Amino acid sequence: MENVRIIAGIILVAVGLFVYITATIGLFRFHYVLNRMHAAALGDTLGILFVLLGLMFLVGFNFHTLRLGLIICFLWMASPVSSHLLAKAEFVTFKHIKSECEVVEK
Amino acid sequence: MSKMAKIKKEKQTAWQRFCAWVNGDTADRPLMPADPPAPRKTKTDKNKKQKTVSSRKEGIELNRFGSIYRICAVLIGVAVVTVLMVTVLQLPLFGSPDNPAVNEVVERYVEKGLEETGAVNMVAGMILDYRAFDTFGESSVLFLAVTCVTMLLMRDKNNTSKDEDLLTAREHVIEGYEEDIILTKIARLLIPCALVYGIYVVLNGHISPGGGFSGGTIMGSALILFAVSFGMIRMSRFFTYATFKKVTSCALLVYAASKAYSFFTGANHLESHIPLGTPGAILSSGLILILDICVGIVVACTMYGFYALFTKGEL
Repeated sequence: MENVRIIAGIILVAVGLFVYITATIGLFRFHYVLNRMHAAALGDTLGILFVLLGLMFLVGFNFHTLRLGLIICFLWMASPVSSHLLAKAEFVTFKHIKSECEVVEK
Repeated sequence: MSKMAKIKKEKQTAWQRFCAWVNGDTADRPLMPADPPAPRKTKTDKNKKQKTVSSRKEGIELNRFGSIYRICAVLIGVAVVTVLMVTVLQLPLFGSPDNPAVNEVVERYVEKGLEETGAVNMVAGMILDYRAFDTFGESSVLFLAVTCVTMLLMRDKNNTSKDEDLLTAREHVIEGYEEDIILTKIARLLIPCALVYGIYVVLNGHISPGGGFSGGTIMGSALILFAVSFGMIRMSRFFTYATFKKVTSCALLVYAASKAYSFFTGANHLESHIPLGTPGAILSSGLILILDICVGIVVACTMYGFYALFTKGEL
């Protein structure tokens, strides 16, 4: 049982690291702001979820697990909102946004 | 009669000059002249020539004073550098294992820290009891920094034009109407949590890792989040420049007073009447809790003050 828990934790951390590596490659390979931001936001949400879940498994189920869960909650609330605000700032300030992506007129 | 008036006038002018100097701008010698320097006077202008003579005299006086000032500055600088170099030569070799700082001080802190300060968190016991004066200096540095930023960046009647005022008023109106719904909903969830967590970190400074500086930073970031999501007008309902001034200076004064008490009693071998309590409880370790709260308040106000002044120029 102990081994299963540790192996599950290691696999989850590895998956999280894979997501992070993908996000980092995307961050450097893409050229436009919104594309790069999408990659970075992906790493910040999915990657952190897998890494922290893996840490929860590794640490065992006690009070620290609850703390890690709270960290996931906080990051999942804070990170997408900041990405949304950055995208909004780009949308408001960039004049030629229609040449880069589709814009739905309200 | 006229002499008296003259003396009075001179006194007044000295006081006025002092006031102007404190305000950073003198009428006759502006720090940052707004107009470009006047073109050179030609020889044919007689009236203007006289003026240049008088101003040249003033200039010579200023220069004489300036040279004395420069010589004094160089002398003082050389003296300070010499003293520091001599002191450095007297110091024991850096990093050698026989240094008293490596052995005696650390041993004292580790062995008697809990007993003398009552703080389970040894770092808190060190920075807020043994070295509380140093921490007082750090908080004062923060306060001074935010004061200087206020002097430089604060908007008031003297350094804004009507157009800029209109612009800021329009910004306020836009802030009031265009609330980002995602940001405000999340901020309503996060701000109370962040504030409570900051208070928890401050109050547990002597029990667990944390303390005034980290907890104050968390509270300051909660204030910044509030200002970002709800705008400056709503912020000014509970946090204005007046509250900022009062709260920060009161916190620093309380810190100074409480630490002065413990210094006074300690230096005169008097018994301190503040109980140390049982280590591990919230109300324990004497003055450390009060000092932590003071530092936390100063740091939170400073964080928010920097943000508000650099982005909007107002508090």
